[in-house]
Amino acid sequence: MVAVEKDVRTDELVINMGPQHPSTHGVLRVVLKTDGEMCLDAQPDIGYLHRCAEKIAENLPYGQFVPYTDRMDYVSGMGCNMGYCMAVEQVAGIQVPERGEWLRVIVTELNRIASHLLAFGTYGLDTGAITPFLYGFRERELVLDLLEMLCGARLTYSYIRIGGVDGDVPPEFMDKLKEFLDIFPKKIREYNKLLTYNHIFMKRTVGVGVLPADVAIAYGVTGPCLRGSGVRQDVRRDEPYSVYPKLEFDVPVGTDEHGPIGDAWNRYYIRIRELEESAKILRQCVKMISPGPVLAEKVGRVKPPAGAEAYTRSENARGELGFYIVSDGTMTPARVKVRAPSFSNISVLPAIVRGQMLADVVAIIGSLDIVLGEIDR
Amino acid sequence: MTAVRTYFSDVFMGLWTALVGMSITLRYLFSKPVTEMYPDVKPRTPTRYRGIHVFEEEKCIGCYVCAKACPVDCIEIGVVRKGKEIKITKFDIDYQKCMFCDLCCEPCPAHCIHMGPEFEKASFTRKGTILQFATPKTLTEEEKKVEKVARK
Amino acid sequence: MSELAAVLPGVLEKAGWSVPGGLVPVLAMFICASIVAAAMGLSAAVLVWAERKLAGHFQCRLGPVYVGGKFGWLQSIADGIKLLLKEDIIPADADRPLFRLAPYLVVLGVFLAFIAFPVSEKLMVADLNIGIFFILAVLTLEVFGVILAGWASNNKWALLGAMRAAAQMVSYEIPMGLAILPVVVEAQSLSLKSIVAAQSGGMLRWYVFQPPFFMGVSFLIFFLAGLASLKRAPFDLPEAESELTAGFHTEYSGMRFSFFFMAEYAGMILVSGLAAALYLGGWHGILPGQSGAMWFLLKTAFLVFVMIWLRWTLPRLRIDQVVYVGWKVLTPFVLACVLGQALMAYK
Repeated sequence: MVAVEKDVRTDELVINMGPQHPSTHGVLRVVLKTDGEMCLDAQPDIGYLHRCAEKIAENLPYGQFVPYTDRMDYVSGMGCNMGYCMAVEQVAGIQVPERGEWLRVIVTELNRIASHLLAFGTYGLDTGAITPFLYGFRERELVLDLLEMLCGARLTYSYIRIGGVDGDVPPEFMDKLKEFLDIFPKKIREYNKLLTYNHIFMKRTVGVGVLPADVAIAYGVTGPCLRGSGVRQDVRRDEPYSVYPKLEFDVPVGTDEHGPIGDAWNRYYIRIRELEESAKILRQCVKMISPGPVLAEKVGRVKPPAGAEAYTRSENARGELGFYIVSDGTMTPARVKVRAPSFSNISVLPAIVRGQMLADVVAIIGSLDIVLGEIDR
Repeated sequence: MTAVRTYFSDVFMGLWTALVGMSITLRYLFSKPVTEMYPDVKPRTPTRYRGIHVFEEEKCIGCYVCAKACPVDCIEIGVVRKGKEIKITKFDIDYQKCMFCDLCCEPCPAHCIHMGPEFEKASFTRKGTILQFATPKTLTEEEKKVEKVARK
Repeated sequence: MSELAAVLPGVLEKAGWSVPGGLVPVLAMFICASIVAAAMGLSAAVLVWAERKLAGHFQCRLGPVYVGGKFGWLQSIADGIKLLLKEDIIPADADRPLFRLAPYLVVLGVFLAFIAFPVSEKLMVADLNIGIFFILAVLTLEVFGVILAGWASNNKWALLGAMRAAAQMVSYEIPMGLAILPVVVEAQSLSLKSIVAAQSGGMLRWYVFQPPFFMGVSFLIFFLAGLASLKRAPFDLPEAESELTAGFHTEYSGMRFSFFFMAEYAGMILVSGLAAALYLGGWHGILPGQSGAMWFLLKTAFLVFVMIWLRWTLPRLRIDQVVYVGWKVLTPFVLACVLGQALMAYK
């Protein structure tokens, strides 16, 4: 008898997921290696939305780059505006008036709510529930209406300007904001009932794509993804900027109540809890804001001294957003570097996807909540 | 024993949470839709809405400040200056480029350019997206010589 | 159909046509088939509209509003015309004959099953003495079409969808078939007509309300397994949009695509109708003495509504969970129901 060497392995199937795919949240391309339904490897391929934002910044006066920052993380443009403006203010030594800072916090927190609502809705879509998406959008619409009332745009705000904000709030804004804050907790409870604690949803997400804290830190993951892994890190609390030191809020972290810390469900649930925290911050802001100027006087043309440089960190909806600006003493910066949170967050994908099922890949990408505009810039 | 308990609680929770979710969706089945009937009913834009520009030609002093402030250079202005008389021969905004950032309206010394409430300016041609705000004028030969057209 | 065959010669004679006696049953068959096909197509169209409209209102939207007046009730007709006029694209690397065959197979399964569909005592194409068995058997045809479609498309997503469909069908045919057994044991017949007839006499005689609810549980299991065999949410994995773009029908367009669509919606009516006939008393009304096709259609419509309702509420399961639910939850439960019912019948 000749021993027959049996080769019973199955072939790997390389699947090209994206850039046109319903759940890659834009134009992400993932090269998947699958064995049946199992995913052996996933390599994210980025760059389909690259617009040379950093290079554009080098050729524009400081103030004119603000609208471009809207288009980086287009889901929470206010946060990007704020990060950039803070960096420029630090480089040029501009002091923002008190009310300006309060308004900045109000709009960024509102925008965080809008962004997390979108994340909630699209995560429902990724796991196959279509209705939560529409419910999320319904409340997001209220937030966008508020922001539209404030600055005239629904998505690309450029409301935060160097030295403050673009105009004080309209008189009816604060009442509308309070109205929204009153109905919002009820809606969050509804989301929890409809999706968060739905058993199918929990079965789909609990224990899926577990991201251990050390891996998360090694990859530079920030924001809700890192907090989902149980690391209490939040720039608003660790290195407070603007008026955050005056505000009281919790930094929710992942728990092992329903499954391992750092799984997709935890990352998702952090966002739901941050909705509550943002609403809490907004309630305090509405109480504590005082009248005054909103824009620093005589900002005019920003011309920082040569050689001045600054790196500012701010907590955007997706994580730590950093802007590094080097000035050469002219009207335009010598270099602008953006540390985009989504970029680091997506880099962790191959590490946590291995050995999961194909449907989990979608659930994991959704739980990382990436925005391609920010990854590619 | 715990395995048995988890099994039955899983089955029960699966059915129960499905029913809870269904009660929520059923409630909204009978509630009023929140959508707007857009093409039939035009949405009301707030006063600060940043839509298609509104240009007041009679106020314009032809200083190009708006064109300079524009990050994407979408404003093209033509001016004929004769002593104190100013003729705006051209005020084109290219809405393929414009990103409605409002930066052009802020520095205007004469307050002659604003963001308006209009937002429907789709066009089938590229040329159709360039809006000409200045009233068309016939220029004399002499005027043509002194006309200054600038983007930035 | 036999009634039709009986009256047909008289009708033909009146019309002055002479048809050889041997052809009359064939003609009757043809007429019945046309009626079933038309009813299937029409009900699918209505159902597509209803689903879109309901989905809209579940989500605080309006759904279709323009085509055909206020409620957009002509929307699916307009969509049908659009699909008819669309280019029929067959991918270059597809297996052409199989690619063309697949949609017909899918429709055929559902179409055949409608033969034994018990709308009312009279409105039934054929009262087969193994009616329920026949329906389950021909419904299985559908999965061949799905697998062929996935394979012949030569598309990786479609292939994955077909694989999922195969795994899912195999897992759910069993609980679905077993769920019928308690009813068969109780009615002592496989004929749908006699099963429904055994439930006459008001709501409390319906099998679903018979204590100790072995049949009530098997109704639930039948309904869930039916959802899975129809590939409806939360078991819509073969066409899971967010994972497989469109699953097994990714490459289909135009009329061929609409065949898959039609089969799904006709299948919804079929499964709901079957559940109504088997467990909810078929054409019998709530009070004793009430009966008629109206009751059957009402019950079917309610079950279809529940299917739509479920779809617009629940997230999707994962494939391993689907198989788990099929084998480890539904099958043991339904086996217990069968055993219980059999013991009850033994006495």
